[in-house]
Amino acid sequence: MIASTKDSDELQLNAYCDGELDPLSATEFERRLANDERLKVRFDRLMSLRQAVRSLPQPEMPARLEGLIRKKLDAELPSNVTILRRRNWSFQSLAAAALFGAIISSSAMMTIAQYGQRENVASQVVSGHIRGLLAPQPFDIASSDRHTVKPWFTARLPESPQVPDLTAQGFALLGGRVDVIGHDPVATILYKHAAHTVSLTTLRPGQSVPEQTIAGYNVRSWSDGNFTYVAVSDLPSADLASFERAFAAAAPAPEIK
Amino acid sequence: MSVPIVQNKDDRAAFDEVFLPHLHEAYRLAQWLAGSSSDAEDIVQESALRAFRGIKTFGAVNARAWSLAIVRNTAFSWLAKNKPKTLVSINDLSPAEQRDLESEGPRGERVETPEESALLKANAEEVQKALAQLPAQFREVIVLREINQMNYRDIAEITNVPIGTVMSRLSRGRQLLMAHLGDRR
Repeated sequence: MIASTKDSDELQLNAYCDGELDPLSATEFERRLANDERLKVRFDRLMSLRQAVRSLPQPEMPARLEGLIRKKLDAELPSNVTILRRRNWSFQSLAAAALFGAIISSSAMMTIAQYGQRENVASQVVSGHIRGLLAPQPFDIASSDRHTVKPWFTARLPESPQVPDLTAQGFALLGGRVDVIGHDPVATILYKHAAHTVSLTTLRPGQSVPEQTIAGYNVRSWSDGNFTYVAVSDLPSADLASFERAFAAAAPAPEIK
Repeated sequence: MSVPIVQNKDDRAAFDEVFLPHLHEAYRLAQWLAGSSSDAEDIVQESALRAFRGIKTFGAVNARAWSLAIVRNTAFSWLAKNKPKTLVSINDLSPAEQRDLESEGPRGERVETPEESALLKANAEEVQKALAQLPAQFREVIVLREINQMNYRDIAEITNVPIGTVMSRLSRGRQLLMAHLGDRR
């Protein structure tokens, strides 16, 4: 029984457990897992081994180590510069530094404010989509199971969206990833329609992102009480519109918090 | 070394931003690779120094992988120099196993495990021991995956092997672990 197991199975099993299978293979593997009891036993066993390793007591770094390292690195810096700096240390320079800091941080705040501009949001969402397509896989967590994707988001983000499976409507759930828009990590849900990938990024509610085309990708946005959704895909905009309808119909219930 | 590279304050600031945030993780990795806390301290200190001196080589892509790669490489060179006997390496394996590991995927048989029970009944001490006994190439991928929770791509970057090799090492390493733990009962 064991010897008959193919090694490619073993690699797939490992990759699936690690969330590293490409979307199609993951879906296929889940189907096999549901029908193959021996495979299921090996899956459970592997997961229990992973759990055992993960729950090992972790060594804590002695607190003094960081101080030691800082001291060592200080010694690497040219010492005369340090001395000079120390001598010049005064309230005057302190005040100048504070003023300078204030200028820097106000200009940083202006940059952050610019992120709020909706064109910028749209283009950042598209960038996330493109980056996802360039990566070996467009998601951080691969699963066609909404009960896997949703908790994955919940564990990472303060607000996590509903993750409906829209396979019946022609949009198969691929998985999810975390994108960073402005400086906020946000949930992006991935769907597949024929050979096309749809990234659905969920932003704070109440933002308006106009329908547009960026770098050849169609952008469509809508909001409900919980989120502003931005869908990006190379699908024609009519298909994105039916995606919106399917998603809105499937995820109407407000999140209970 | 003829002319020492002079580090300036910018380098120090870059170091603080790139390497320091991963110090705890660096220590953890070093500890698992070296198997001793005092060795881990030495390794982390040396890694920090190396990272600082090489901070200009940081490509501004993945600070965590860059930092841990330095720790990993420092750990192996440190161990080779100071504790050559503790470093169970791939070179201690049979030629067939070695070929297997360096190939894109395992071609040999699966490691036979005495019983295929679904749940592993091993306590932490046994797991720790079994992990410590694995050859370094298996141990590092398992530690990077489970303890540092890196994805395959980052593990490949840190260990400087193709992703296919990471996959086969992980798979084989886990089988070996299970076999070890099975033998123990």
